[in-house]
Amino acid sequence: MAELMSSSEFRVALEQAFSGTMAKDASFSRAWATGKLHKQHFVHWATNHYHYIGPFGDYLGLMYANTPDHARDAKDFLLQNMYEEELSDDRHTDLLIRFAEACGGTREYVQDRNNAMPFAKGMQGWMYYVSGRENFVVSSAALIVGLESQVPSIYRTQYPTLINKYGFSEWEAEFFDLHITSDEIHGERGYQIVLKYADTPELQQRCLHYVREAADMRFAYTKALYETYVQPDLGPWVEEGEREPALVG
Amino acid sequence: MPRIYFKTADQYVEFAEGEEVNVLRMAIREDIDVPWQCASGNCGTDRLVVEEGAENLDPPRRRERARLGELVDEGYRLACQTYTRGDVTFSWDPDQVGLDDEPGDGGGSRTGWAGTG
Repeated sequence: MAELMSSSEFRVALEQAFSGTMAKDASFSRAWATGKLHKQHFVHWATNHYHYIGPFGDYLGLMYANTPDHARDAKDFLLQNMYEEELSDDRHTDLLIRFAEACGGTREYVQDRNNAMPFAKGMQGWMYYVSGRENFVVSSAALIVGLESQVPSIYRTQYPTLINKYGFSEWEAEFFDLHITSDEIHGERGYQIVLKYADTPELQQRCLHYVREAADMRFAYTKALYETYVQPDLGPWVEEGEREPALVG
Repeated sequence: MPRIYFKTADQYVEFAEGEEVNVLRMAIREDIDVPWQCASGNCGTDRLVVEEGAENLDPPRRRERARLGELVDEGYRLACQTYTRGDVTFSWDPDQVGLDDEPGDGGGSRTGWAGTG
């Protein structure tokens, strides 16, 4: 039976739980960062991403309702995160649609659920499930540590390519720049909450399980983006310097 | 090992050689009392004076330039928007609030959702 880890031990375990399956290493992310994608691929990405993260305020709201009053700092963090997604400045989904429109897409296309992959709908359903049904510290581990804290590492490789290779303006690509920095802070706050409130061996292990599952979900979803939209145009993903199609994504 | 020296709090954080780290994230992680509020570059509560090591910072981002305006030329950066890859020293006014707030507002929500300990 697992023993209660110290805060520092648990943090290392959380970081290691998703280090092998980070979405920045999936084929679609690599093709993006190395400038292989066409603008139409970005429209498909934005459409699927909209249906994956569009209800993020809903997920956070469910987590908020599941968080006990004594964890006031966690409740306030979730509320602040929700506010920043929806109201503090430009609505984040509007920034996403702005990028899709800069790529030739339309708001109507992006918002039409019929244009999303089953994988995107699966991600959405999984996030509704975890946020609605799990202990708040477990759902924080899954959604904030496992998913949201990965965002800066993904967009920090993709954003320079958007500006320097594809010629997007900073305004058109603001969705990415905003999340590079804001999700650093959200991710760190997520770690703090999980480290503080996962105070039994069982909760710690359940958090680790869901961080792994979250990373696997996002990796599989990102890989599916390549296979669905890019592979028919460019063939199987081959990392530069490799001769054979990459085995992992 | 490079380090960020938070001079006003007289605390520093070290990070691995070759990494680029977000300044506010490191402060929050080590529970260093840098004032902050929104973490999106909107409020300006986390403006810091770069005392040394400006050459190790990434260039100011669009939101940061828009929020700080001429303060950028006076050596200010927003902690939430700034990454460093080497030694740097920051100072700040511990009582500062957002650029659109009046002193005495209490810095908005920062006190409401920080301090997890």
